[in-house]
Amino acid sequence: MRQFPVSAADNKLAAIDQEIINPALHQDCIEVKDVTVSFKSAKGLYTAVQDISLTIKKGEIVSLIGHSGCGKSTLMGTISGMVKPSKGTVIANGQVVTQPGPDRGIVFQNYSLLPWLSVYRNIYEAVDAALPRKSASEKKALVEHNLKMVNLLPHKDKLPAHLSGGMKQRVAIARAFAINPSILLLDEPFGALDALTKSNMHLELLKLWNLDNREKTIVMVTHDIEEAIFLSDRVVVMNNGPAATIREIVDVPLPRPRNKKEIVHDPEYIRIHDRLLNLLIEKFSIDDIHA
Amino acid sequence: MKSIFSYKTLVSILYFAAGIALMGGIWELIASLTKNEIPSPKMTWAVFKEVMNNPFQDDPDYKGIGTKLLSSLGRVATGFGLGSLVAIPLGLLMGSSKAVMNIINPMVQLLRPVSPLAWFPLGLAIFQDSPKASIFMIFICSLWPTLINAAFGVSHIPQDHKNVSKAFGFSAWKYLTRIVLPFSLPHILTGLRLSIGVAWMVIVAGEMLSGGIGLGYFVWEEGFNGGSVAKILVAIIIIGIVGLLLDKFFMSLQKRFSYAQ
Repeated sequence: MRQFPVSAADNKLAAIDQEIINPALHQDCIEVKDVTVSFKSAKGLYTAVQDISLTIKKGEIVSLIGHSGCGKSTLMGTISGMVKPSKGTVIANGQVVTQPGPDRGIVFQNYSLLPWLSVYRNIYEAVDAALPRKSASEKKALVEHNLKMVNLLPHKDKLPAHLSGGMKQRVAIARAFAINPSILLLDEPFGALDALTKSNMHLELLKLWNLDNREKTIVMVTHDIEEAIFLSDRVVVMNNGPAATIREIVDVPLPRPRNKKEIVHDPEYIRIHDRLLNLLIEKFSIDDIHA
Repeated sequence: MKSIFSYKTLVSILYFAAGIALMGGIWELIASLTKNEIPSPKMTWAVFKEVMNNPFQDDPDYKGIGTKLLSSLGRVATGFGLGSLVAIPLGLLMGSSKAVMNIINPMVQLLRPVSPLAWFPLGLAIFQDSPKASIFMIFICSLWPTLINAAFGVSHIPQDHKNVSKAFGFSAWKYLTRIVLPFSLPHILTGLRLSIGVAWMVIVAGEMLSGGIGLGYFVWEEGFNGGSVAKILVAIIIIGIVGLLLDKFFMSLQKRFSYAQ
């Protein structure tokens, strides 16, 4: 596994951690207010999530966790602007969300790269569309900078079909970062990756977040408890749908930077892990099934 | 780089040769059963060489077979080109808008099954000119496969691709050129390949009706009216080979512009 560099940069980050009042941080960044989302389906009106309220601060990493079909992606869709709430409002960066915007970068579940465009072009077209006022050379520099950040510059002319799953996901993340959004929305971003690649991607994501002075707000949908704890400041546990609501919000007060290997032995980690397991899983052994 | 003379190519060449030999055998058999009323391959070959003599002769009183072929191809290209110019944009529009689909589709369903030959007299009435009527006929019958395939392509753009466009705020132009066209191009090319096949089939019939310079008229005038079954056979072979080459050309375009998912 690649080691996360321990260096002067970490000390600087520790200093940021110590900084008690950074006026830019700790402001409300995303406000979900009484949001209900219903869809018309063949069987009538289907309510995915109901009366959800949630406030996320600037620079926070928040995970939405729950069983499949519990509406966590739908809830995130209301923040990204891809899904219109039937009731309630979402405010992001002080503005009511009505559609996707360049202040919110989205990483989709299945990468969603355009198969006929090279890695470079996939990112360039997104930058070109989201930041039309930048000059061509600025756009080019942005694309190359972000490709470099995810170590994909040597692969920039390849088509997505010639990349591994992890590489595709890095392209998708680079694309979201390239438009320099203040909010990053990740929909089960690492779900399709193997455990080792996933582990590396967690570190890569945190590295990008650190390089930006931890000012970006990240909301991530996942069903992986370990991933949620390792990355997040708070974990939002959702009830099963339909008409899903928030069951509980679990704080993760583990200090950063976190070490993947050591963190699992931290009593606090173990406590949080147990709490999340209890919230998500009702049956723990074969006996429980028969009981 | 793989060698051209691989085992696989050798086997496919052998299969091809076997197929040709079988066809030649059946032909020979029919020739002997009809007492050379249908000329044997050997006799046809002699006529073929004679027809192929000076193929691009272009005198006012006699045109070589190559000149006739080019004349037919020219008409097909014009009709097919005009047809595609109408069919591709209209198909894209139909695929992207339910309303346009619902308006145009009944018309397509009604007109598509009409035999291309039925359009010929209409073309003649409109243009008062038989070569133009042939082009009109080709135009009409090369519309449908391209139209239907282009519409199918656009209406099947995956939600993922649409999400990218929405999430990053693609303009209508960018959506068209970076998502709609690249995604539907393989479907459009399938439509064009089917269209050119129909067009090539129809031109022969059209030229039989219209006369003038072309392969269809060659079959009718020099073959049937001239009493030379061998010339009919020669024309059939040439028409077949050209049709095959046109198909191969569009197939190679399809391969060139398909992409790995």
